[in-house]
Amino acid sequence: MSTDTISDILDTEAPLLSWETWDQVKHTERFVALAAAVFALSFSYLFGRAPVISGIFRGYHGLAITILIWSIFALGFNLLLGQTGLLSFGHAMFFGTASYAAALFSIHVHADPLAIILVGVLAAVALGALSALILLRLHTVYFSIVALAIAQFLFFLAREPLVEITKGINGLDVARIPVLGLFELDHRYRGVLGMVIVDNLYLFIGVFFVAVVVFITRVRKSPYGLIFKAIRENETRASFVGLNVWRYKFAAFILSAAIVGLAGSLMAVNTQFAGVERLYWQVSGDIVVMAVLGGLGTIAGPIIGTFVFYYFKGIVNGFPMLGDYWLLLLALSFTAVVWVYPDGIWGMVTDFTSALREPEELVADTKQRLRDLAPGGDG
Amino acid sequence: MSIDGIVGFIFIALSVASLYLLVAVGLSIVFGSLKYVNMAHGVLYLLGAYVGLLIASQEQYGGLLSDAGQVGLGWGFVPALILTPIIIMGVGIVMERFIAKPFYERDLLEQLLVTFGILIAAQELVAIVFGRTGTIYPRPAWLTGAVSLPVVGTPPGMSAASTIRVLVVGLTLLLVGAIFAFYKYTDYGLAVRAGTEDSEMAQMLGIRVGRPFLLIFALGAAYAGLAGVLGGSLFNVTTGIGMEIIIPSLVIVIMGGVGSIRGTVIGALLAGFVFAAATELVPSMTRASIYLLAIVVLTLRPSGIFPSAEIGQ
Repeated sequence: MSTDTISDILDTEAPLLSWETWDQVKHTERFVALAAAVFALSFSYLFGRAPVISGIFRGYHGLAITILIWSIFALGFNLLLGQTGLLSFGHAMFFGTASYAAALFSIHVHADPLAIILVGVLAAVALGALSALILLRLHTVYFSIVALAIAQFLFFLAREPLVEITKGINGLDVARIPVLGLFELDHRYRGVLGMVIVDNLYLFIGVFFVAVVVFITRVRKSPYGLIFKAIRENETRASFVGLNVWRYKFAAFILSAAIVGLAGSLMAVNTQFAGVERLYWQVSGDIVVMAVLGGLGTIAGPIIGTFVFYYFKGIVNGFPMLGDYWLLLLALSFTAVVWVYPDGIWGMVTDFTSALREPEELVADTKQRLRDLAPGGDG
Repeated sequence: MSIDGIVGFIFIALSVASLYLLVAVGLSIVFGSLKYVNMAHGVLYLLGAYVGLLIASQEQYGGLLSDAGQVGLGWGFVPALILTPIIIMGVGIVMERFIAKPFYERDLLEQLLVTFGILIAAQELVAIVFGRTGTIYPRPAWLTGAVSLPVVGTPPGMSAASTIRVLVVGLTLLLVGAIFAFYKYTDYGLAVRAGTEDSEMAQMLGIRVGRPFLLIFALGAAYAGLAGVLGGSLFNVTTGIGMEIIIPSLVIVIMGGVGSIRGTVIGALLAGFVFAAATELVPSMTRASIYLLAIVVLTLRPSGIFPSAEIGQ
């Protein structure tokens, strides 16, 4: 992308420290990559061990890893829903299948983490191609529900008839050997490194996280990815201008499956386990909640959504009094977001920050709203 | 297979089909005529099961009809069968007014998402109120065992058909027939169909489409509530049953063809017979069979067995 360099930005008239410069910089790929890397590197520390902040969060390292992996999952899911407008209620099938494929490969062939991740992704892609043949003939709710049906079919298939292979509810254990025979994933660092990133496993998953963020940014900015958006806005029109809609939907579906498959394989590496519950509808439901709650069609949205979800599940769950109600609170917030604010949490944040830039307008707008709310008002 | 075996098999298939049908028929009509996809329909089944259990056990231990000596819920099952649909109908009316109506004009996917959120929230609420462990919901004593008629005794072959399954099948036949007749032959049904075809035009002709829509919605809710009471005694009762019933029901609705009562009946029958056949032949595939069926049917006919022209295109 030739327009995507810092020098081009600095050529513009805008002064270096201004909102215009910031608006241009924040959308460049380099900035997104850098931000993702900084986030991944500092997240575990800020969440789990930083003074004051982590005391408020009550976070811990293991949860930080889980959130990174599920963020990859949510980003992959969002590529399909937020970008292309296809709501799959069955994405657990890619997550679970990749997990199983990775685990089986590690048991029967070779256990190198990179190799099993590759196998997991390939399995998800193969399943994606197969299910796309059925699903892409269907529209809207039909698509969502039949995706759910396929995932549920695989779940029940793995739970009983294939119990010899999947070991049913006991699941499969994944051995952990060094990556390429060199890097021990369990290796814990000392000193500052130990404080910030703790171990190689976190680093390993962080690298994949940054790679996925960069990859998705690239897709979103490419002409190819813009066609996904065109399909979301109006499929009929997209086909009338001569685009082969099926082909682009297929591509989006496969890409989404591959990224979700990556998340599934990483989960197998992280937990050293693959089990049937990763195929259950609840996984598909959770990912829908995360992506929608955070904000569709953005990069930060799914990551924020994942964080909020796991924060409730991992930490609010343990609070006295409030703990029992974590899922209820989460489900109600999800419903409220879909109802009144479909742009999600990230949409709220961006709206608020852009409103802050125009304080006078914000004041006027708020006054108008209060007037509308007042009884006897003309609103 | 002996004649007993065949009759037993048929009744297992029909009773499973009946339960799905009771849930799916309301879902299908609302989806077809109001263009509203309602995952929260599962809430009505869930509430039906718990409300029914509450009523039945109250009656068992307290009221005039108490039958404490017997296993199961005793005669309390009868008031539960009558009262639960009425209560759930009320819930359905509230749901239509406050949850469904604001969303009639909105995108199908938003409807799907918002009702999914409501379903999860409601399941959690039930779990908080009633506890997370599953509930034992025994069959009433007078409904266990084989069918036995007053004068004739047990008809040939019927000794394999348990009374509760016969009751479930009979009630479903009656109720689904009623809603079909309502939809097809009454003025209200005509108004619903007119409102479906062209809501604005119907309103200009002086039809208040809001009311028939509400009635359809409420009837669907009552059916789902009744299915909850009956389903509780055939399947188990946990706080997750709302989601467990809504997935196959939606699959059946889509397989049959949205909005077509005929299609929904056939979809449910197919699912029931495949379920029973799998139970008989490959027990490990029982739960997976209905999804496999849906995948096969929708691969062959992407818009369902009796396709509806407007939806999903």
